[in-house]
Amino acid sequence: MRPSTALALLGACVVAALVAAHPLSLVLLAAVLLALLLETSWRRARLFLLGIAVSSFGLFLIFPLTAHTGSHPLWNGPILPGPIGSIDVTREELATGAVQTLRLATVALAFALWALMLDHDRLVRETRLARRSVLTVALATRLIPTLERDAAGFVEALRGRGVEVEGLRGRSRLLAPLVASSLERALTLAESMEARGYGRPGRAPVARARFSWRERAALVFSLLLVVSSLLWL
Amino acid sequence: MAVSTRIAYVEGLAFSYPEAAGAALKDISLELERGEVVLVLGRSGSGKSTLLRALAGLVPHFHGGRFSGSVIVTGLDTRSTAPAALAGTVATLFQDPEDQIVFERVSSEVSFGPENLALQPAEVARRVASSLAAVGAEHLLDRSTRDLSGGELQRVCLAAALALEPQLLLLDEPTSQLDPEGAAAFLELVEGLARERGMSVVLSEQRPALPLEICDRVLFLDQGRLLLDAPRTQAIEWLEENAPVFVEPPWLYDKQAGEPGTTICRLEKIGYAYRPGIPALGNVSLELRRGEVVALAGPNGSGKTTLAKLACGLLETQEGQVVRNGRAGYLSQDPGRYVVCERAEDEVALGIEGDLPRARRWLAELGLGGSERRHPRDLSSGERERLGLAAVLATEPDLLILDEPTRGVDPERKRALGEMLRAGSSGRATLLVSHDLAFARSVADRVVSLGAQGVPIGA
Repeated sequence: MRPSTALALLGACVVAALVAAHPLSLVLLAAVLLALLLETSWRRARLFLLGIAVSSFGLFLIFPLTAHTGSHPLWNGPILPGPIGSIDVTREELATGAVQTLRLATVALAFALWALMLDHDRLVRETRLARRSVLTVALATRLIPTLERDAAGFVEALRGRGVEVEGLRGRSRLLAPLVASSLERALTLAESMEARGYGRPGRAPVARARFSWRERAALVFSLLLVVSSLLWL
Repeated sequence: MAVSTRIAYVEGLAFSYPEAAGAALKDISLELERGEVVLVLGRSGSGKSTLLRALAGLVPHFHGGRFSGSVIVTGLDTRSTAPAALAGTVATLFQDPEDQIVFERVSSEVSFGPENLALQPAEVARRVASSLAAVGAEHLLDRSTRDLSGGELQRVCLAAALALEPQLLLLDEPTSQLDPEGAAAFLELVEGLARERGMSVVLSEQRPALPLEICDRVLFLDQGRLLLDAPRTQAIEWLEENAPVFVEPPWLYDKQAGEPGTTICRLEKIGYAYRPGIPALGNVSLELRRGEVVALAGPNGSGKTTLAKLACGLLETQEGQVVRNGRAGYLSQDPGRYVVCERAEDEVALGIEGDLPRARRWLAELGLGGSERRHPRDLSSGERERLGLAAVLATEPDLLILDEPTRGVDPERKRALGEMLRAGSSGRATLLVSHDLAFARSVADRVVSLGAQGVPIGA
């Protein structure tokens, strides 16, 4: 399947995840995406799964504390000054929080599949419209494993001096150097791209293959998924 | 009518990077002929990379700064021609191949340049195939760039540059990450391509011995000024007189007489694999004693770094045993990249419980006195490497492990590093991982070699 078709499928999943109201639809969608993600290399998928788990759990914790809906209180906390106001947790907030968490996890799973399963090279080369944007997103996606490798390099360099990087505080100290390091990399990459003619007017024509019946089916399914999520899910 | 053989000329070129205190290039004038191989030598920070970037038009277009004089390449003035527009004429290979990879697959990477030139698909395919074949990497066509070794990646990057079919090829320290065999093969390849295609090659190098054998002409830069522009034979004579460290055989350091002291680290029948079934190391034993400097040599991918990390405890053993007496300090490859603090002195003090006076002493020891409060990322690459070394040395380890500390280091700094290693060697055991065999032999008491599969082949 060509990457643009896979992208259309994933895009439809994201749209469905954002507009579907029924929790079961979201559960089904998330389960399918998770199963596909687990089909990829575990070594590469685990970082994404960790990120999804942490962000989803964080949202589930924060949502009920910041929302102010529902009439069935489960816990009443203090009233904080400013926009937060009263801290309480209601049954409705928990339910809505769970749905929003599921929504976030589904979108993040679709992104993980984009990062791990799609042939970004082909996607960039086949793209006719907004090629620069597609290339930027593809490069940003490749940044994730680079950041992972750089983070390991930082930890190793520090351990080599007898400094252990432990806990959230220790790891958060690496955030700024990691960003600085990736900016340095980005600069070299940009320079190298320009030296290889990136940005010249004109573009090599790309030989295009016909859509197979599977790809046609996938595109129709993507369309149906979007329409049905808007109408029924 | 005489046909001009000149491919580029530089007239009165001066350049300063934005916000830099001094000029990176001062009043440079030179000419480049078709088909010649020109070697650019000079100390770290002398302007070698900047000169190459000026020839590619990246200076001033990409970097900004103050530019005067002119650089004309195949009749195009680089001030009025963007680097991307020069891409069909000039190609550049930068120092670190990892940082210039755009795509996931080798085929896409190599076709990136020709596609930017808006060539027809058939022509792009022809160029991809011929450039990969030219560098002996046609078998890598469908491989992922992520899975390639340093040497393979370097070849792919060269193929990507050659796919532009340039008339002028610029190589910025292209062999800094390669072992001696890999470096020799790479330079031989470049020389062959230059002769065969009539392409001019300008390369900068910190290990001048090999390129001096293949080049036609040598440029020597010092603090941005061109001190020498001469054919190879004359250049060697000039270097012997004015910059002997660039042509002399490896320096012979004062090595400690007598027997080494107690054992600091013993590795017994070590085996290690990053992926099941693909051993990085097999059945390696090594003893490191106080007072001795041991060099660990071997080709790229032979497991030198793995062994070093096992010796200092950064990796857990899978097979065999590591016994360590005392504290280990490890200087990773490319230490300048891994700086975490806002000030140089804080970076060094990090491993010694914030002891700033001691940190400052070590900075001064490594020639960084006066840079204590500077941001580490504002230092030059050479200074950052020394900062990393200072941060490890300040911990005063019983076992000091240095992983490729001479990569990208000019001959003078290399000699200073060797002297420093020898001077402090009596109080510790030192393991030097290096594919710079000449340096390793000159500074170490013994050299241990690993074979291609991480198997010891001799000491």
